[in-house]
Amino acid sequence: MANTVIGSSIVIDGEISGEEDLVIQGTVKGRIILKENLYVEQSGVVEADIQTANIEISGQVTGNIAASDKVEIAAGGRAVGDIKAPRILIADGAIFKGNVDMDA
Amino acid sequence: MTEPMTIIGTNTFVNGNLEGDEDLTVEGRVEGSITLSKTLTVEVGGVVRANINVRNAVVSGILVGNVTAQESVHVTEQGRVVGDISAPRVILVDGASFRGNIDMGDFDVDRATEGFTPKAAPRKAPARVEAEDPAAEEKGRAEKPQVVRTRPAPIPTRRPAAAAQPKAAAPAKAAQASSQPAAAQATVKRSPPPPKVRAIGKTKAVKKKH
Repeated sequence: MANTVIGSSIVIDGEISGEEDLVIQGTVKGRIILKENLYVEQSGVVEADIQTANIEISGQVTGNIAASDKVEIAAGGRAVGDIKAPRILIADGAIFKGNVDMDA
Repeated sequence: MTEPMTIIGTNTFVNGNLEGDEDLTVEGRVEGSITLSKTLTVEVGGVVRANINVRNAVVSGILVGNVTAQESVHVTEQGRVVGDISAPRVILVDGASFRGNIDMGDFDVDRATEGFTPKAAPRKAPARVEAEDPAAEEKGRAEKPQVVRTRPAPIPTRRPAAAAQPKAAAPAKAAQASSQPAAAQATVKRSPPPPKVRAIGKTKAVKKKH
């Protein structure tokens, strides 16, 4: 509750940085730098380069993702861009286009 | 949290443009611009450094930037605002700190002018400028020749007037110094009316400070 939520009608053009969970139901363009979990919900649209610990994608993400822990693309989630993370999960029904690098 | 509601949490920093059609609560930090069709709430501990265009704003944290609200801006006891506020309703609570201009819009200006024009004419005009000065001008015009020709009464009548009104004093002296230019006097002495307007402006300014 105390975390950050970007509601469905919100559009942010710029940079978001933080040290707590971020839930995106709206639109974010630019850049996201997090040290915690990022949730892109069904209505969420992200056009940004992302740097985070964990990311769970149920909406749309366009941009490169670098996660220190895990990237998960849920069923219904769509991601376009390169992913770099030690653990990457792509669920059945997810759509992904890009490079995967699990060496990190 | 599935309500249409956005929160920028304590440890989150947003730098850029933020727009939307729902309530926004800032507990963290936002820089750039915020455009909302609903209410912006800056919580205690929240810092917003942005130009803001919203329907309502409630500031309990720190807000630096210009605020335009369609309805109201409310600065609470803990709120600190630096910037210009433009909104039909502006609430500054005791304890709130604010630096900047407040514009409550045409609405109030119309009211103010409607209220002021009748008052302004009888009160200030006769008391200071129009009643005395025109008289002084007329006297001055009539008197100068008199002064030149016959010394007595006119000078004392002028000098008290000049003493009472320092602003009038200069023109009066100038008038004495250069006896001829009655027209110049007239223009000089007619210039005082602007102070009326300033006086109105001052009263407004006083209101704003509260």
